[in-house]
Amino acid sequence: MTSNAEKMDLKDRLSLIESMIAEGRRTTESWGWTFVLWGVAYYIAIAWSALGQSSIAWSVTMTVAGVLTGVIASRIAGRHPGTTTGRAMAAIWIAMGISMFILMMCLGITGRLELHMAVAIVAAMLGTANATSSIILKWKMQFASAVVWWAAMVTALFTSEYVTGIVFLVAIFFCQIVFGIYGMISESRRHKGGASAQGAYHA
Amino acid sequence: MPELPELNPVIHGKLRLALLSLLSSVEEAEFTWLRSKTGSTDGNLGAQLLKLEEAGYVAVEKKFVQRKPQTLYRMTDNGRTALTDYVQALKQLLGAAIES
Repeated sequence: MTSNAEKMDLKDRLSLIESMIAEGRRTTESWGWTFVLWGVAYYIAIAWSALGQSSIAWSVTMTVAGVLTGVIASRIAGRHPGTTTGRAMAAIWIAMGISMFILMMCLGITGRLELHMAVAIVAAMLGTANATSSIILKWKMQFASAVVWWAAMVTALFTSEYVTGIVFLVAIFFCQIVFGIYGMISESRRHKGGASAQGAYHA
Repeated sequence: MPELPELNPVIHGKLRLALLSLLSSVEEAEFTWLRSKTGSTDGNLGAQLLKLEEAGYVAVEKKFVQRKPQTLYRMTDNGRTALTDYVQALKQLLGAAIES
């Protein structure tokens, strides 16, 4: 077991183990599209409720976005293996989404929903979910996104309705659309890197 | 001089080692995903997975999703222990090789 060839073979196997474990973990982070989808959904709901004055704008748009996310995610999950990290990510966002949906619906029904509080609650919840995800994934860009949401939360409570509305639109643009597209580009680059790194293995 | 450890022959095959390493990082994986990650042929992959299944290192679940057959593989506790032991043995052998 001391010849150079054998030593190289053993080192190759150790490298193989490391690269395969990294390859398995690499498949878990394809979530950029959900940020873009929900960002667009927020814009549709805002435009619908502002222009159409429709009381059902938010509930209908959020329900459609939720169903779309579920359908697309289940199709993607069918092709990729599940990981503990992936399940943790899904748990954070599903729990946050359900909490926000129930809270907003109840506030809307009871007539206690007003712009400042609505934006502050949404921004606080999205800030918390983004921060939790970023700490688990060790992703600084997502933590920056959480900071933007927290800033939007504070601003919403201290400024006029007009400024609060603008701040909400800007936060959606940067934290959902821009961050989502950035995430999709990063994932695409990572997957391409992974595909080129893989080779053929024989028993 | 301490005796050098034996490497588990079931895991030592390169494809089987790659498969166990992949499965150690996910909860479960489909046959097609394992094929794409290893670049192996269906026949070879099936044969190596069967060897791992017979050794009790992986568990297989066959089901239908949207009327399409799906074969899912996951690592068992025995498989995880065997891979950990294999890595330990590998490091011990590499250490011995460096010292000699």
